Amino acid sequence: MIALILFAIAAGGWAAAALTGLLTTTAGGAVMRAGCGLSVLGGAAVLSGGVAALVSTDSAVVSPGGSVVVGTLQVQATSLSGVFAVLLGVVAIGIGLYLPRSGKEPSGGTAVYLCAYNLALLASLAVLAAGGVVTFLVAWESMALLCYALILHRPRSREVASGAFWFLALSEAGFVLIVAAFAILATQTHTMDLGLIAARAHLVPGAWRDAAYLLALAGFGFKAGLVPLHVWLPVAHPVAPADGSAFLSGMITKLGVYGIALFAFRLLPGGPAWTGVVTMAIGALTAAIGILYALGERDIKRFLAFSTIENVGIIVTALGAAMTFLAYGQRALWAFLLLAGLYHALNHGCYKTLLFLEAGVTEHAAGTRDMDRLGGLARMMPRAGVIAFVGTLGIAALPPLNGFVSEWLIFQGLFQGFRTGSHLVAILIVLAAGILGLTGGLAIYAFVRGYGIPYLGMPRTRQAAAASERGQPVAGPALLATACVALAVGAPVLLVGLARAVRTATGVALRPVLLPGKLTVIPAHLNFSGFSPTYLAAFLVAITVVPVLIYLAGRPRAGSVVVPVWDGGMLAFRPRMQYSAMTFSAPTRVTFDALYRPSVSVQRASDDPAGRSGPVHYETAATPVFERYLYRPVIRAVEWLADFVRPLQSGDVNLYLLYVFVAVLVAYLIAAL
Amino acid sequence: MTTEQAAAAELRGAIARQFGRSLHIRTLDTGSCAACEQEIRMLAAPHYDLNRLGFFFTPAPRHADLLLVTGPMLRAFAVAAHKTYDAMPGPKLVVATGACALGGVYEPDSFSYGSVDAVLPVDVWIPGCPPSPLALLQGLLVAVDRLAEKVPRLSFVAGGPS
Amino acid sequence: MPLWFVRGLRRGVVTTRYPARPDPSASALPTPPAFRPDALTGEIADALVATCPSRALARDGDALLFDAGACTTCGRCRDLAPAAVAASGEFELAGTSRTALCKRIPLAGEVRR
Repeated sequence: MIALILFAIAAGGWAAAALTGLLTTTAGGAVMRAGCGLSVLGGAAVLSGGVAALVSTDSAVVSPGGSVVVGTLQVQATSLSGVFAVLLGVVAIGIGLYLPRSGKEPSGGTAVYLCAYNLALLASLAVLAAGGVVTFLVAWESMALLCYALILHRPRSREVASGAFWFLALSEAGFVLIVAAFAILATQTHTMDLGLIAARAHLVPGAWRDAAYLLALAGFGFKAGLVPLHVWLPVAHPVAPADGSAFLSGMITKLGVYGIALFAFRLLPGGPAWTGVVTMAIGALTAAIGILYALGERDIKRFLAFSTIENVGIIVTALGAAMTFLAYGQRALWAFLLLAGLYHALNHGCYKTLLFLEAGVTEHAAGTRDMDRLGGLARMMPRAGVIAFVGTLGIAALPPLNGFVSEWLIFQGLFQGFRTGSHLVAILIVLAAGILGLTGGLAIYAFVRGYGIPYLGMPRTRQAAAASERGQPVAGPALLATACVALAVGAPVLLVGLARAVRTATGVALRPVLLPGKLTVIPAHLNFSGFSPTYLAAFLVAITVVPVLIYLAGRPRAGSVVVPVWDGGMLAFRPRMQYSAMTFSAPTRVTFDALYRPSVSVQRASDDPAGRSGPVHYETAATPVFERYLYRPVIRAVEWLADFVRPLQSGDVNLYLLYVFVAVLVAYLIAAL
Repeated sequence: MTTEQAAAAELRGAIARQFGRSLHIRTLDTGSCAACEQEIRMLAAPHYDLNRLGFFFTPAPRHADLLLVTGPMLRAFAVAAHKTYDAMPGPKLVVATGACALGGVYEPDSFSYGSVDAVLPVDVWIPGCPPSPLALLQGLLVAVDRLAEKVPRLSFVAGGPS
Repeated sequence: MPLWFVRGLRRGVVTTRYPARPDPSASALPTPPAFRPDALTGEIADALVATCPSRALARDGDALLFDAGACTTCGRCRDLAPAAVAASGEFELAGTSRTALCKRIPLAGEVRR
């Protein structure tokens, strides 16, 4: 109940913020800051509501009225949605603190943007708090439309329009599938109330339930970004403003994950093993393909978008493996992998939002998103450098930060695949773990590139050398960075909360096995492994501090000399001679060229083999495999079908009268039978 | 012993302690005919095997203790030679090897300084054209004070004290 | 591939023991010259100075200045005056001082003065 009240307060706050946002153009900067403040307060309310929902048992469905248009409004605060509500709160606070840029007067586009953003927050909250099918669907669709408005911002260009259109088109395709899934469930269980559907799920015949689950997986997969349904992510993220991209990656994709978790763990738990294996396989492939494509990107935002795809893949792998374990009776591992997946979703929301906000800061400071035009930003913008470093450590899953803890938990769950009785399934689970291992290694490689090329080294262009972080927002990203560190060091506390949520969602009491000591985490079974994130963090700090202290105490008294960086003795070292983003990832692109299928075009002034005959134009691009071999044929098939059907709409009134006559005839015949 | 000799002895002792058991060598070719380089390469071969004496080749001057210079120090190379020497952390040694580097073959003219010590401060000189790997080994051991140098006692007079 | 392993085992250790023990191949090395002052007349000295291609020899009044550092062991001085010049057999010539490599060889007849 408390949770619902807090959600209502947050909703009110966001509605007010949206209204204030609309007034921005007339009223100016102070009003914009007030609106952002309301947004932050809403975020705080949602955060507390989410925590309240986490730790309490599922509340009943509340129907605070409705209307003829949207039907009865049904809201419910479940612990599963509580986890995602916590994430929504954190993301809203971070972005709300980032939004006002000091010294910049808001433009006309900003008013629409702020209104759409706050309403999108409201719609996301409605999706999470929805207790009935109709409420969920209405909230989902409004969230999609508001995000479409979010992506479209001025100045309008072809890329912006195209990116937003891809988002909307795939969102609608997913929506059709989600409606179908809910329709199957609602008709089979004769109720629109999500709680009742969950209670009556065992009544649904096997074929219908599998169909509903697969439709939901595909439908929510469009939003979450599962391969091959992910193509909107890399085109929509670069064109949206930085905070919009942060919201999309940090929260909206997690709503897709929430949908999958809703169907897999609440509405249709206990499905056959093959649904779990399919989910896990799709998740693993998504993770690998996501990070492989990320390594071929120069644009920071496209790079981060593909990294989101990778992390969503990891979360879905965990959820799929959980479903598989349940099918073989391993309830502890079922609950544990759900917990690990939710934890990873929380972590990813934090640091992906952080990285997108920092990408926005970089774009405003240096004027470009291209990694090969940046360099040395850690020296020009030290605060941004430190904050981005914390985010990079987290997303590359390096100890002691939170990404490491959640990925470790997922791996430990996957490694216990032998506990299922079936050899085949155990091998498949290990394969998935292997693919996730490849992904983890490539992620470290990708983020060394993603942080090292723009932030370290020397500035490659004059724009980058002139970058300055004066006037750039730092409170939002700094708060998110602190949250990352807190989630890591305080992981045991968070895991206690998540364990309570998981117990409400699955009925398995994980806490005694999970955290026997105060600070050590045990993955589901005592005889497998264990580790303590807090002790690890303390240990890492100690082993860095102790050598530094020894050095300070015993260093030689001779003075030191500062000399230029060793550049191979070259006479004139230009910053453009440094590693570029594409050369850094060249080994991967060569190894996996069957996936990238690069097209290379080289033009020289002449064919002089000495190569000194003038400038050489070299262009390479990865083949867009999914667009070309999956989407184009589908689009062409739809166009062909539309052309085929066009003669029906000839515009001839006589033909239309014939249609009416035939329809009446058919209706009489059916009524007579 | 005079104070100078005492200081020199202390310096040699310090060098022996620092580098006596492990020395990293960075070779620098300032324009030689590469015959010295061939002999230096043979040092790593099984017959001479400088690793057994604790010497190692390293390409990075940041990791190097000793700079092994060949060639008559072409003027075009002076900047790179300075950069390499400056990039080495102290304490560091410079060994000039080969008749070119010692100032024998080329007079200072428009394209070369003629000898390495016009640009870098040299600690040990190893003559030869090219110096055989055995001579190089002796030179390196003299540089780290593991062998005493013989040259001051040589007179190059046949039949006299050698 | 196993063949070279067997061959290597049969050949034994080929690494030189230098500096602990002298290396047998050292006797075949080309070495700088050693002079016989009794046979070194002034004319021979001037001829040697003219024939040296790397300016290792110079005449300084009553002595021949020999710069062992500049010597390329070409052997022309030995071919010109075998009576006055022989191979020194010294290859361990490293030194910490450049001037220590410059030796002064007294010419014949000058010692008595």
